[in-house]
Amino acid sequence: MASCVTPIASGMAINTHSPRVTEHRKNIVKLVLASHPDSCMVCDKGNRCQLRQLASDLDIGLLDFQKIPQMTVIEEVNPFIERDISKCILCAKCIRSCQELVVEGAIDYFQRGFSAKPATLSDLPLEASECTFCGTCVAMCPTGALTEKEKTYRGTTNTTVETTCPFCGCGCSISLEVKDEQVVRATPGADDAVNNGALCVRGSYGYDFIHSPDRLTRPLIKVNDDFEEVSWEQALELVATEFKRIKSEHGPNSLAVLGSSKCTNEENYLLQRFARCVLETNNIDNGSRLYNSATRIGLGPSTGFLGSTNHLGALEKSDVIMVIGADPTSSAPAVGYAIKRAVKIKGAKLILIDPRQTKLSAFAHLRLCPKIGTDVALLNSLAKVIIDESLIDEEFVTRKTDGFEDLTKVLEAYSPEHVEAITGIPSEEIRATARLYAASSHAAIVYGTGITQHMNGTDGVQAVANLALLTGNIGGRGGGIYPLQRENNGLGACDMGALPDFLPGYQSIADDETRTKFQQNWETSLPVNHGLTAVEIVELAKEGGIRGLYVVGENPVLSFPQSRIVTEALASLDFLVVQDLFLSETAKLANVVLPAASFAEKEGTFTNFEGRVSRVRKAIDPLGESLPDWEIFLRLADKMECPMPYSSPQQVMDEIERLVPLYEGISYADLDAKSLHQAEMGGNHLETRRIFGGQFLTGFARFSPVEYVPHIEEAKDDYPFALLTGTILQHFGTGTRSSRAWRLKKFSPQPFLEIGRSDAEKLGIGHGDEVKAISPVAELSATAKITDTLPEGTVFLPLSFPESPATRLFNIELQPKSKTPSLKLCNVRIERV
Amino acid sequence: MADKSKAVAEVDLAQVKQIVDEYSQQRWALIPLAQKIQNEVGYIPPQSVPVIAKTLGLFPSQVQGVISFYEQLYTKPRGRHVVRVCRGTACHVRGGKTILKLVKQHLGVEEGETTPDMEYTLETVACIGVCALAPNVVVDDRVHGRMNPKKVEQLFRKNGD
Repeated sequence: MASCVTPIASGMAINTHSPRVTEHRKNIVKLVLASHPDSCMVCDKGNRCQLRQLASDLDIGLLDFQKIPQMTVIEEVNPFIERDISKCILCAKCIRSCQELVVEGAIDYFQRGFSAKPATLSDLPLEASECTFCGTCVAMCPTGALTEKEKTYRGTTNTTVETTCPFCGCGCSISLEVKDEQVVRATPGADDAVNNGALCVRGSYGYDFIHSPDRLTRPLIKVNDDFEEVSWEQALELVATEFKRIKSEHGPNSLAVLGSSKCTNEENYLLQRFARCVLETNNIDNGSRLYNSATRIGLGPSTGFLGSTNHLGALEKSDVIMVIGADPTSSAPAVGYAIKRAVKIKGAKLILIDPRQTKLSAFAHLRLCPKIGTDVALLNSLAKVIIDESLIDEEFVTRKTDGFEDLTKVLEAYSPEHVEAITGIPSEEIRATARLYAASSHAAIVYGTGITQHMNGTDGVQAVANLALLTGNIGGRGGGIYPLQRENNGLGACDMGALPDFLPGYQSIADDETRTKFQQNWETSLPVNHGLTAVEIVELAKEGGIRGLYVVGENPVLSFPQSRIVTEALASLDFLVVQDLFLSETAKLANVVLPAASFAEKEGTFTNFEGRVSRVRKAIDPLGESLPDWEIFLRLADKMECPMPYSSPQQVMDEIERLVPLYEGISYADLDAKSLHQAEMGGNHLETRRIFGGQFLTGFARFSPVEYVPHIEEAKDDYPFALLTGTILQHFGTGTRSSRAWRLKKFSPQPFLEIGRSDAEKLGIGHGDEVKAISPVAELSATAKITDTLPEGTVFLPLSFPESPATRLFNIELQPKSKTPSLKLCNVRIERV
Repeated sequence: MADKSKAVAEVDLAQVKQIVDEYSQQRWALIPLAQKIQNEVGYIPPQSVPVIAKTLGLFPSQVQGVISFYEQLYTKPRGRHVVRVCRGTACHVRGGKTILKLVKQHLGVEEGETTPDMEYTLETVACIGVCALAPNVVVDDRVHGRMNPKKVEQLFRKNGD
């Protein structure tokens, strides 16, 4: 029996370094070397090659075997991965990472004997296969068989910095390799509680934006419609003078701040203190308003907490996973990997509720395609079936929840037969889904912007919460509610109080005791009234109520609906300051542009969608004269004669730890030792956001009955198509960074509009044709991409292409509760150009 | 011709789909299923790989990996008759190499190939165990021993007519 398949028994003696074993090992490595080319001198793997390492460890010098290297060339055009199969030692690490970590299955062994190699289906180039270019296989490959293709540096670096990925809300750990003050490689980080050794294409290759030639390196002041480079002193002096002038002339509430769901926790904390203590206004909000507010406002009353109720590891251990209104494989890849692993490896059942076919469709046991925007009716009907068929967790509902009777009453109207008429899903499928979900004691619900960005987003979130509460699936070994965050620190920015109605840690600004606590610490008085939310700030700016605006790391011109109106509003301001890495579309309108440093150039922490706080570490010095955002805030506060007494992000975190119960026990020392789950800190779960096994902050969770209100106008003759927006894997946000990451840009260069085959035929549109999408408020053009993944009458427009911002097509319509603009769905007509 | 082969492939694929349906979500069944497809269709059409993968709950690349690993599984249509020329030591000594050359000439195909009329597929084999009759050629299940150029000619004339 081969040693690798011999079961271990007690008392067994295992020799790993006996002369016989060593001799065999040596022979095996010699055989591997015999079919390996002698190209070490020019191989990019250099001294990172594990085969070379092994050979020298085993003292193998010149080979006494005849060499028969297998030379094969694979022509590929993608800018990410280069395959040199001649260097492949058939260890299958790439195959296993593709099948077992990322669960994409793009490659497997092909053929046998000497011609065996890892290959894609039909041995096609990677770009013609299922490969998503996550780069995990490249990070795993022990030799130079898989390497980064278009790279800036070939050699081995001396410095590696462990930090956190700056793109989506997963918060994967990444290692940045640095050579001569340049980030030259990103690999999956060593602390891999989130990403388990995998990354996505954005994490592996998106860092290119750091060294983009477009980076701002000096402060800019607009003089006669042109930007002039100035010194920090001049720029900050101007900002301070103008802010002070506006404050004294029009009052502090004529000023507003848009904070950043991309900046660190420490920076958001400083920014909200800057707004409240220096500008003396509560008019502060952050970009997560656009996708996360419905979660905050929906889950709050239901469960008393504001983020996911369990951690990612528990999602993977769930028996049933319901994904609704989300495509985690592109918007939150690490979550997508976890779901696919749960299904493929652990045998979980996936319920997929999405009008579009996504990469998860192939993994789904039940796939429901409701009419767009009818999720609330569907979720209510699922809840009704669960109650009617006595599938509820009675003990949980009786002991831990309130308002069950009210819920039952409201749900009466949602019989599967009635809801079939609304959603178009057969009543039997609704029943089957409810039974499958309720049958498991570890069932999870994952939702994303397909719930939160609809007009009834808050209702959708509460309907999700009701479903989880009915079955007691809140926390524990598996299951829970998992709201996805679009951005790296969307949750952190809210935690830190970059919100108009909350001080850090969701401590209400209206609460006297809380205010006193912060006033004593900051030795100042705080404004009491609620401030304005993001879109309200822009709306008021248009009416002249807001005179000065400070935008940090946000791009409202592209991310808010109706870019024309936003542009007008921002242009009508007395004074606009934009702090960003690049001259974004918003920055172009600014009076002063302050150059900020990227995530690789500063210290701090990000909070991911689970609530996990991870360290961001400085890898290189800020480019040019750019400065980390926290330093800019401090300097500006000094200039405005209201200094904030900190000298480093660490000091800020020390104060956060002291004043924000959610972040108790998170010091850099602890974080450096291990990225902490908030729930893992201390023994008292009640003081943390996380809920395990239904330990609610308030003692009880409350059912919030919601009614389905159709918000979508029926498609009219003029605008017969429903246009959905969403994320694609290779781009991110408004594209400010991803469109400047040259490899991502090269791979996915231009905006496209997905249209179903039958619709395209009817309109006479072919693949690659230039088309226009026209909504009642605006139009934009894109290249048509024919797909089979869309239901009839639906088109899909990806976000993140600055040249055709999908948000432009939307009217400004705010959700009444969360003040989130509806940015998911609008009616359009499609025309060929 | 192209249309014809495309039509053939479509017929084959429909046949595959019928066979595969019985094995839904049974990962263990890959090899028996592949054998069954091969027995009924004659080979495993490459287009059927995604179909098999979807039904069994495997990745297409995994299915392809298994099919390409086994000598006994074919991804190209095979001739109605399979000709195996022995290249074992005994046959080699008695002129097996020349026999192979002659067979190639007669059929007009190389090793591993099939004649355009789909009549013959030519293969070689390491040894069939009847070295006393060397050099040997096996056609389908029948062994033809003590081969010489004349017998090669007869063999294919007889089978061809």
